[in-house]
Amino acid sequence: MNELAIGTEGLAKSYGSVRAVNGINLSVPGGAIYGFLGRNGAGKTTTIKMLLGLIRPTAGSGRVLGMDIRSHNIAILQRTAFVSEKKTLYPSLTPSDLVRFSRGFYPTWSDGAVEKYARLFEIPMKQKFEKLSNGNQTKVFLLLALSQGADLLILDEPTTALDPVSVDQLLHVLAEDALDRGCTVFFSSHQLEEVEQIAEYAGIIDHGKLVMECRLDDIKSEFRLITAAGNSLPAQISSQVLSVDVEGNFCRYVVTKDAEGFAAGLSRNGATITNIVPLSLREIFLELVRKEQSCTSGNVGATPVRLP
Amino acid sequence: MYFWKCWRDTRSFALVFLVIAAAAMPVTAVVGKGTNLQEGFGPSVFLSTFVLMLFVVALGLGTISAIQEFTDKTSHFLFTKPRPRPYFVWAGWVVGCLEFLTIAFVNLFAGWLTLAHYSKNPSWSVLRALFKEQDVVGVLIYTLFIYCLTYSMTIVLRNGLKGLGASMGITFGLQATQIALRMRWNINVPLPPLPIGSLPIIVSNIVWIVVALLIVFAAQLVVERSEI
Repeated sequence: MNELAIGTEGLAKSYGSVRAVNGINLSVPGGAIYGFLGRNGAGKTTTIKMLLGLIRPTAGSGRVLGMDIRSHNIAILQRTAFVSEKKTLYPSLTPSDLVRFSRGFYPTWSDGAVEKYARLFEIPMKQKFEKLSNGNQTKVFLLLALSQGADLLILDEPTTALDPVSVDQLLHVLAEDALDRGCTVFFSSHQLEEVEQIAEYAGIIDHGKLVMECRLDDIKSEFRLITAAGNSLPAQISSQVLSVDVEGNFCRYVVTKDAEGFAAGLSRNGATITNIVPLSLREIFLELVRKEQSCTSGNVGATPVRLP
Repeated sequence: MYFWKCWRDTRSFALVFLVIAAAAMPVTAVVGKGTNLQEGFGPSVFLSTFVLMLFVVALGLGTISAIQEFTDKTSHFLFTKPRPRPYFVWAGWVVGCLEFLTIAFVNLFAGWLTLAHYSKNPSWSVLRALFKEQDVVGVLIYTLFIYCLTYSMTIVLRNGLKGLGASMGITFGLQATQIALRMRWNINVPLPPLPIGSLPIIVSNIVWIVVALLIVFAAQLVVERSEI
């Protein structure tokens, strides 16, 4: 594994009594594409803002590209490109003006990349920003970020307002161009399919807590949903058990490794294993963050109580 | 590049007021003479025009120099550029201040030519008379103070209209307070550009300029600590 591009320890942000981010430990390997998932208000944008120095953490620490986020903010910004969730820029400037404006800030700026992505994304470079469609405004942000020659791309919901063709183009650019340059891509999204399509790693944040972080390949090969029935079933979360939902005599476990062994252990304790099924990222996301479970054969229509 | 952006944001305003500054004095003189509303274009008319012009320019430039950069919508873009936040605060201030001083100079120059044209005195004595008694310098210091205050308020409140309103509120509020204190308790509180106590006029002027810069510095501290 490469050196971490982003690493946080107990990073937290509170607004009064509200804990927007509650001590998260992120590990984003250098050169990887990392999908940062969560519901609206889960804490994704707050986390990103702390990494970029836009807001100050209440507690914890973080390093971006090996530099402390509290003391090396300018050096971090020099090597980091950022696309905000708010895709608003100066209304009277054209994309060409914005390129001119941004170029001077970055020694690694590439005019070749500007031409390439302007053509690829079909951006009208002479039209005022306010006159551009929402999709084109988003593309201008992406153009500026991609042309910066950054070592780290932080994209906060980058595909908002993009049409499917543009989304496909962007994912293609991220998966090939960015990685070819050894650039790390950290992007937040609600679109699980996009993350599954290009990301190598994924983290899921819910209510300010990082509830899962893993390689996507591990999800396919190792993660399993085990449904068991029996009395006094174990209900503890561990390094092996990502989540447990209990309802009466039924229990649903999301197991991260050695599912067969875990199921065998349950059986030895008198449980009846009703199902062991592989999980997609989408299913894991729903298992971890939803409040009311849907009625499936696995949970037999129960409304389980989430354990802490 | 950021200086270019600041100039680009304010140039329309600056150029329009540059033209107005050049035309205001002769137009005032011609109109005044034509309508017989005043006896002639003398120093008092010149100073009234000068202070009105610079007051409007100070409020306008103070607002538009910062109106876009520090709003909620675009500040995340600006503040993720690899420069310390004070750089953005002072770059915008410097560009606006240069424009302000250019307009002031053009207005002053046009006023001098107009005064010289309508005066029986030689031109240089007219200019000397303008600077005597602190008149021109006082107007410059007062309006520079207004510019710094408006710019700072716009930055701190991150909204042009609110900044403008707050600046005008503070300006008129201070003057009202000063009058009230003098009339009620006979306390004299100096406001720019009035002399401070028994200090020599040049020292008072320097103090007022420093106070104006301190207001911008205070705004810078707020911007540095603000969360985006």
